[in-house]
Order: sequence, then structure tokens, then C-alpha cells
Amino acid sequence: MSIFNDLREAVTRNIGKVMNSGAQYSDARWYEDDSSEMLMMLDGNLEGNDTTIESGLGVRVLYGGAWGFAATSQTAKIDTCFDRAMANAVSASLLVKVKLDMGKMDGHTGSYTSPFEIDPIDVSLSEKVDFLKNVDDSLTEDWILRRMIRVQIQRMIIHFWSSEGTYTQKKLINTFAHMTAMALDSDRQMQRRSKSLYCETEGTRGWEMLTNPVLWSGHAERVKAELKEVLAAPELEYGNRSVILLPGQGHLQVHETIGHPLELDRILGYELSYAGGSFVNLDSFGKLKYGSDKLTVSAYGSITNSPGTFGFDAEGTPERDYLLIDKGILVNCLTSRAMISEANQRAGREVFAESGGASRSTAFYRAPIDRMTNVNILPGNDGTLEDIISTTEDGIIVDNPTSWSIGSNREHFHFGCEIAWEVKNGEITRVLRNPSYQGHTVEFYNNLSAVGDESTWVVEQVENCGKGEPNQVMELGHGLPVVKFDNVISGERK
Amino acid sequence: MMNDKLRNMITEVRNKVRDHGIKASIHYHHENSHLMRIGNNSVSLNTSEELTRIDIEVIENRKKGTHTHLGEIGSADDLFKMILMVSEKAGKSAEMDFEPVLTVIEANVETETQYDAALDNLDPSVKERVYSAIFKNVGENYNYSGSWSSGSTETFSVTTANNNSVWHRLTDQQFTCVLKHPEKMWELASWQTGWKAGDVTAEATINEFKSILPVYENHDGFKVEPGSYRVVFGSQSLGDLLGMTVWTGCAGRTWEMKMGWTADRKIGDDVLHPSVTVLDDPENGQIFSEPLSDSGMLTKTQAMIEKGKFAGLLYDRNTASKYGKEATPSAGCLAMQPGEGSVDFLEAVKDFERVLYIPAIHYMNMPNMSKGIFTGSSRFSAVLVEKGKIVSPIFSSRITDQFENIFGKVLAISSETISVNTSNTYGRRAPSAVSVPTWMLVDDVKITDCAESF
Repeated sequence: MSIFNDLREAVTRNIGKVMNSGAQYSDARWYEDDSSEMLMMLDGNLEGNDTTIESGLGVRVLYGGAWGFAATSQTAKIDTCFDRAMANAVSASLLVKVKLDMGKMDGHTGSYTSPFEIDPIDVSLSEKVDFLKNVDDSLTEDWILRRMIRVQIQRMIIHFWSSEGTYTQKKLINTFAHMTAMALDSDRQMQRRSKSLYCETEGTRGWEMLTNPVLWSGHAERVKAELKEVLAAPELEYGNRSVILLPGQGHLQVHETIGHPLELDRILGYELSYAGGSFVNLDSFGKLKYGSDKLTVSAYGSITNSPGTFGFDAEGTPERDYLLIDKGILVNCLTSRAMISEANQRAGREVFAESGGASRSTAFYRAPIDRMTNVNILPGNDGTLEDIISTTEDGIIVDNPTSWSIGSNREHFHFGCEIAWEVKNGEITRVLRNPSYQGHTVEFYNNLSAVGDESTWVVEQVENCGKGEPNQVMELGHGLPVVKFDNVISGERK
Repeated sequence: MMNDKLRNMITEVRNKVRDHGIKASIHYHHENSHLMRIGNNSVSLNTSEELTRIDIEVIENRKKGTHTHLGEIGSADDLFKMILMVSEKAGKSAEMDFEPVLTVIEANVETETQYDAALDNLDPSVKERVYSAIFKNVGENYNYSGSWSSGSTETFSVTTANNNSVWHRLTDQQFTCVLKHPEKMWELASWQTGWKAGDVTAEATINEFKSILPVYENHDGFKVEPGSYRVVFGSQSLGDLLGMTVWTGCAGRTWEMKMGWTADRKIGDDVLHPSVTVLDDPENGQIFSEPLSDSGMLTKTQAMIEKGKFAGLLYDRNTASKYGKEATPSAGCLAMQPGEGSVDFLEAVKDFERVLYIPAIHYMNMPNMSKGIFTGSSRFSAVLVEKGKIVSPIFSSRITDQFENIFGKVLAISSETISVNTSNTYGRRAPSAVSVPTWMLVDDVKITDCAESF
């Protein structure tokens, strides 16, 4: 028998065993292959030339309303792994105030493969190195002090079985890339300008995505030109003004102040001791005016090419396209099965009808938690970037974060950015350096005054979202247009 | 514990690799991890992970390749083939303008001085009982969350540079308990750490919560208007501040790249307040320590900041090679030396009209590394103190300031130090901690924003 058949037999046998021992539910994820490669060129030196291969099994058992989890990298220890997960669940059930349950879901089968033409893991190292050298060459100038090119690629083959009879198989391909140029300004402060690989909504995610100059490598000249402008620019003065976010900055704003506060496990208080809570509560849904009427936000968003698109979540739930915020009103959040069951139980009514398919884990050795998929601001009717600039009296346009710091309940935030363009009376007047802005989340989104049309919409990738105990990183996407907020505190107090 | 068969296999493969003229290091990492997560007064997750990794590095002149395998190691042949694959990868890599350096293990080392079998095999029911005792004694009407990670890390390393090896095993634990008022929404937190089973107790957290609860229960939140304040930083915030200050100011790579706040300073310059001394100190028993540096040297105590003067930079082996410097015997054991202040910070601030006590800073980041500007917000157990008396909790307040101000405008430092666990569980188990004074009083700290909630 093949390894797969042996493993399937052992997993299904053990799921049966724990269910016969009184478990409410059990599932197992086998990462047949979790390969990643990281190449990092610093000032022309390939200092990072690293591969990782991981393989193993993660098991969850729900017993007495409590979760037990165990993982092993040794397939010979599958029986032990289930025994440990069961023992952990039994131990956890001794201290349970609200008993968790998974609700009902019929068993089903399915498979998903990320769209790709060339598997990036299979491309030869020589070809990858040549490509990176070319990008590095295009970034090289005498006056540039530091150049950094970083590429991260992933391939995961994941099998999932549950006690409900569900089996899914996924092959996920992800490709990330960043270029950064740095130089000292006249005050000897290191300034930088960067560009990350972004997605086309319906493109593919293989090696061909990385080598498409429109999406990344063709931006080197612009990166250099804008860095040169930053070096000679005055500093942004403290004040109250409009702030226009390009997608390079806007995606992180959405990530930190819409995505994270709308994770249901966070809302229910399961992340308090690490990541924090949320200013949103179960009474907020259908009532909270999260933003202006111009704000409509979706989860998943039928984006076929994004690291936040994965077919089935870590509970086998199919990915689902739905609205989180509809014309400014909060209507839904990022959910998994046990969390919606608990939320409905706590609220004494049906707040959430079905799982949002947002249960995800970073590796076989981490238990799934509620994560972002694709969290997107939908395009609006305020035209192009130029149209939005033309209606701005006093503002700045900002791009790409240098720093982000968010309140523990996501109620307030502070961002530093790489570059700002000053806008006065409908026109760009000059570049400014060291831009930053801060605000209070609900007030900020209610000051959303312009949302760009589809021509301004791109899908930005996030490869390193951190959350959970034990800690997990996750890959996801944010589709969004250019957006403008009024009355924003920007710059630093002297 | 790693068996002799596996150890012998790795050593034999090292010898075979050397016979093939390959320069390589082989690093075995085994973790036995357990974490109990608490949410809503319940155990919300109870996990066990047993994971084995092999890390390989191959250097070929000015090129290198690295690989990590997490899974079954298999036979000596399998491991040898893995190294050949990394060797091929290194061969196809790009030449660098410096020669990467293979770790040379200075001496044979076998150590487990910070290992406790009782913690390694701790029954999860012990954790459940500690949390239950806290809920019962402090009050079950509050909402509790937290986590308690414990486990062991075992490593074994060899390189083709010589026949030496290093074996190291240690245990560690990190305990957090957060108490939140279900209606008023304020949060208190208690942290404990250590490497022995008895290092974490319910009593310590119960006493901590009971001492501050009356202030929170009996007073509304205070909104801190933006401006300059005297601030007492507690140990968690001091640990975070110190880590960022040293990483951006005293790491050889950051300094050579002119990225940090010390880029234009030289060794011997006055950079911080004369009361501030910071060491890399493997002898400090409050810190989880590694026996060897990344270059294979036996670790030694080294000053980075001495009485406010810029005293030293830490160089890893490749940064040293790139910039023509000597690698330092760095342990990664950050220790800020105590001052002369009383153990109780309230005693130290009794003559001041108004002081903020900020024990922890949430989500710190740096908008401007060159100027050492950081920002973050107060969270757990932060209070307003007037003439040495705690008068009210404060709402979530943002600090945006410079490291040179924070460690430059020091008014007093506690005479007692404490271990702050700085481990995370991203990727592999890798215990780390810093030793810091229990508090530090600083003048003229910039509060730049305040919410109207906790």
C-alpha cells in the first residue's frame, strides 16, 4: 500500500476510536508536503538561500465541549498522536464554562488547486538567482546605500479528514516578492522605498506571476525615482488633513483595523492574552455604523488569485463569499464552526447563520484558529486617483508602511509610511518624508469620503500575519481601491 | 532524550561529508511542547507537539545554502543525501563579496543546567488546577484568559570544521493570565516565567491581581491628554523597550548598515543616562542561555552600554566576515543592571505630584529607526499615581518617543531585577528572556494620543 493509503487507514481508524470513546468531533490534517523557499539578496549578495520541507499530522479532538490538539512529525506515532489529542481534550474538559460544539455539517469530499502555470518550487535555482540578479541590477545606483530583494515561495499539499466523513485535498501555491531601496537623507536618516508583488484578481500564482514585470519587477525605476524625491523632501508637519491611501498602504489599514477586529475568536475573547480583543461585540452586528456609506467590505470576494483563496478551510468548510460591512453597517465577520455556535449560544439568538470558512492554520503542528481570507474594500464611484486628488483641498497621499502599531482592541492605530505627496487645492504640490498618521478606528472609517473605481483596485498580498497561541503566521490577500479619509491627525507632535 | 544511535548517526554523516570535501554544519533540534490556552474562564485549547528538525548549512567558497527538514530523519543515507542536495544548492548560489563562515565549535559541550524533568513532563491537570485556583480566589465574576506554554528543547550540533560537538537541553515555561471586567472592559495581566516546575504559582498571580483590583473596581478610567509625563515603566515594558533599543543600537549588522539610532556614534560616546548599563550576560541565572555563540565560541559577558556610554557591538560570524570585524562570543542574554531605587516603585515616586505607571506596552513598532522613534500603547494594569498613591486606571494611551529619551532621562531605577520571558512560538521552540529592573522612572515621556476606553 502507498504511504497515503496507510495513513488514511490509520487516521480513519483512530478517528473512529476517539469517537467511540465519547468524543463529539475529531479531525486530522496531514501535510503530505509543505515546502518553502526563501531567497534574499542584500546589496547583491545572496545571503538567504534557504529551503524548508515539513511533513506531519495534526489532530483535533472535541470532548466534553473542549479542544485537545496534538501533532507529530513521525508517521509511526499516529496512534500516540490521537491518544494525546484525546487526553488533552479530556483534561481540558475539566475546566469548561461554555461547552463548544461544531454544529452540524454533512460529510463531503472536495479538492482545490491554486491556479498556476509553473510550480515555483520546481524552477531551477540558477534561473531564480539570475532573475533576482536582474532585479537587483535594475535597482542599483551609486547613491543607493542598501538594496534588498526577497522572494518567498510555498507549496503545500494538505489532506483533511473529519469524523463527519468529510475528506478534502488541497494543493496551494504562493509566491511573494519584495524589493527595497534605501539611502541616507540630508539629516542622515535612512529612507526607503519598496514594492511588493501584487495579484491580478483572476491571474495565476506560479513562477509566471513573479516574472510578470507589471506586477513587480518593472517597478524598480519608479521605486528609485521616488526614493530620490524623498531624500530631498521636507518632513511632514503635524496637522489635521485629508489622507489618501494608495493600496500599498491601504491594505495594511484594512488588515489591522477591519480584518483583525472582525475575527470572531477575537471578538469572543479567545485572543486576549496575546493579540488582544476587539471593540466589536455580538450586539454590534446589524447596528454598528463602522464607516461611511461608501464603505462596503467583503470576505473572500471571489478572488481566484490570492493567498487568501484556498478552496476549503482547515475544517473542510468551502470558502464563502459574503459581505462584512454593507454601506457602512457591520453585518458579518470572519468565522469558524465552533465560534459561530458559541456566539449564537451566548447571544441567545442566531447572529451568524453559517461558518465563513475562515478556520486556518499555518502548519500541521498548529491548531486552526479564525483568520482572514481576503478582506476587501469594494470599488466605489469616486473615479480615478486623479479624480480624488482634484477634489482634495488639503491632504497627503501615502504609500507603503514603515511601521504599524494598533490598540489592543483595535480601537486606535498609528502608521508610519515611506512617502507622502502633499495635495493642495486639487493638485500634488511636493513630496514629503517621514509621514505618519493616527486615528480612532470607527471615527476614521466614518470619515471615509472617497472610494476609487475599479481602475484603482488591486489585490495586495500579506505573507506574515501573526496571531494565536501557539503563534502562527498566515498568508492572505486584500483587494482594495484608492481611498480618502478626511480630518486625520498626521505627522508627529513636536 | 536523544539516543546514542541518532547522535552517532549524525556524527558519522558529518565525517562522511567531510571526507567528500564539503564544508557543512548539522544541527538537530527536538522540541516537546505543551500549551494550555485559557479563554472565557475555560481551557479553550490544550496542545502537545513533538517535533524534530534537522538544519543543514553548506558553504562553498563565497556561496552558501541552508535547508531545514521537519519530519522523519530516516537513515544515515537519507541524511547524507539531504546534505548533498544542500551542497548542490550552495554550488548553484551566487557568489558574495565576502566569505561566509562555517561555525567552529570551540569545545565539546554537554549541558543541561537549566533542565527540569518535572517541567518537561508536567501533567496538563497541574495547569488546570493553577488557573482554577486563580479564578476561585480572585473572583469568578471576571473574565479570564491566558496561556501557559511549557516544554523542553534539545539540540545537538556538529560541523565539518573539527570533531567537537555541543549538546544542550533545557526546559522553559511562559505563563500569562489576563483578567477582564465583563462590563467595564479593563484588563489586568500577570506574567510568570522560569525553567523549573515550581516556578509558576497560583499565589503569585492571585496576590498581584488582589493588590490592584480595588483601584480598578473603585475608580473610573482617566484620560491622559497628549503631553509630557513622568512615567514608571514596569518590567514587561522595560523588557520590550530594552530589546528594541539594543537591537537597533548595538547589533553589529544594524550599525554597519547605518540603519539604527547609533549609526553616527562610536564606541565610548555618551549615548544614554549614566545609570544605564546593559550587558550580554550568559552568567545571569534569570535568562535562558546558550552555551555557544553562533560562531561556536564559548559565550562570555560583554557590555553594550556601560554607565551610559556606547561600550560594544555584537557581531555574528557572517556580519563580522562581511565587515572585517571579529565575531563576538554573544549569548543573546540581555541584562540591564539594577539601580539604587527602592523595590516598591510607589515609594520612589512619593514626592512627585503625578506619574503614570505603564507595566506593559502593546504592539510596539518603530516609525523611524534612524532616530530611534518608537510607538506603542499602554494596556494592562496601567494607572495614574499621585504622590505615591495609585488613584485611578488610565485609558489606552499612546507613547511615541525616542529610545535616547527613554533611557536618557532616567530619574531612578529599581534595585531589584526580574526575568521577562521574550520567547515566541512562531516556528520552533526557542526560549529567550531578558533580565531587567522591576521598574524605571523616566522624565518627560511623550504621550501622543489617548482613547476613551481601556
